[in-house]
Amino acid sequence: MNRLSSAARRAVFAPLDTEARVEAVARRLGDAIVLGLLVDGEQLPGESDLAGQLGVATVTLRESLMALRQQGLVATRRGRGGGTFVRAPADTLNERLTQRLLAHTVEELRDLADHYAAVAGGIARLAAERADSPDLDAPRRSLQDFADAQDPTARARIDGRLHVELAAAAQSARLTREEIRLQTEIGPLLSLPFADDEAHGTADRQHRQLLDAIGAADPARARGVAEEHIHGGVRRLIELRLKGARAS
Amino acid sequence: MSETRSQEVVDRAVTDAVAQVSDMLETVFAAVEEIRGRSQELVARIGGRGRGPVSADLAGLRPLLRARLARDRGLVSGAGFVAAPGLLTDVPAWLEWWQTHADGSVRPMLLDLDPRTSAYSDYTHWDWYALPRDTGERSVSGPYVDYLCSDEYSLTLAAPVLVNGVFAGVAAADVYLRHFEDAVGPALRRIEGAAFLVNPRGRVAASNSATQLAGSLVRDPVAAAARGELRLHPCGAIPLSLVTRPVTGP
Repeated sequence: MNRLSSAARRAVFAPLDTEARVEAVARRLGDAIVLGLLVDGEQLPGESDLAGQLGVATVTLRESLMALRQQGLVATRRGRGGGTFVRAPADTLNERLTQRLLAHTVEELRDLADHYAAVAGGIARLAAERADSPDLDAPRRSLQDFADAQDPTARARIDGRLHVELAAAAQSARLTREEIRLQTEIGPLLSLPFADDEAHGTADRQHRQLLDAIGAADPARARGVAEEHIHGGVRRLIELRLKGARAS
Repeated sequence: MSETRSQEVVDRAVTDAVAQVSDMLETVFAAVEEIRGRSQELVARIGGRGRGPVSADLAGLRPLLRARLARDRGLVSGAGFVAAPGLLTDVPAWLEWWQTHADGSVRPMLLDLDPRTSAYSDYTHWDWYALPRDTGERSVSGPYVDYLCSDEYSLTLAAPVLVNGVFAGVAAADVYLRHFEDAVGPALRRIEGAAFLVNPRGRVAASNSATQLAGSLVRDPVAAAARGELRLHPCGAIPLSLVTRPVTGP
């Protein structure tokens, strides 16, 4: 049968859960604040504009903002010159990221690592089959930028860009979108381990091995290095998570 | 059918297909040329008033961009002018870029071009920018995954905008690969045997064969043609070639 069963069809076309949307919007804006994409003191667009841009109802946005106020990530001032403002003093960045990490269970992080490694491994394999040398110009530049980066946030941002560029070199729009989606989930947290120079050095070595394997058109080796790279990165996060859990 | 007759039929289908690819992309280039002309005129006019252009001035392009996206719906999904960094006096960089969305609406693309917050703020190394800047000629980029503007597998047609002989940016239009396939697929399928379009680097843009799909790479097609392993048919002045297998004797 080609047609989906009627129950499956109803599930496909059912409206998205409102509660999930509140959470999704709060997470998106919260991650942007934690990562520093939205900076301390910045005023968010008006509620109806922002709701329109995000494609959610105004009530949904309001509930998301309420959740962010509770987390101390935004503050709302009433009256003239009022509005919603980002609260993200730079000296509390590490603390906010750690809070964010502690909100994940170890099991969630392990599952995320499995998913991410499957995607990154698939990307590496296809890139090794399909990329030509000019396709690797952008990732090679990012590799060098990553090696030179000192600040953990910059390291995480450039690491993210390198992996998006490899997904594009794999010629897959879907895998590129999935890579970007996974980064919005875990990307900000990856700057925690990148504060450690040894972790930064390991990631740099793996990037070089990965680009070597892709450049040598060796799909199996590329996939193996990419999977190890993701699992290694998330293992460091899990170690931090376990330490944080004991301390609290 | 004799070998000569069958070769003639193949040749006619090939001629039709390359003509169709050329006609279709020349239509898109005609839109790019209009955007190029209007951008050049706008920037030159403002310079004539003795001040530098600002991002708000580029709003003057919007009626044209909206009209072209409406006319070429289903073929052109994004169009605009990409300013050379430093051209505008109020912002370091700018894309006046409009896109047709899945719901049919035409909206501007809002991109974070602040290097302090975005890892993607420098667009000057993308082929659609670098090729017209470096060659001074119009260009076809892709197919490539456009993770900057649309997240779609795309072709981008672009032309350099020169104001008083100085490079000021590029005018460009995006064709999503699925729309390109819709447009050229039937002509490719009328060719007997495997036939596919490749860009100058050998990347397949559309194909009639499951063995050589869009996105795959034919390494060094010119050398392969010289060895007689495949035949390359140019698509007029468009930098894509149709690849067919040579018809072998009985």
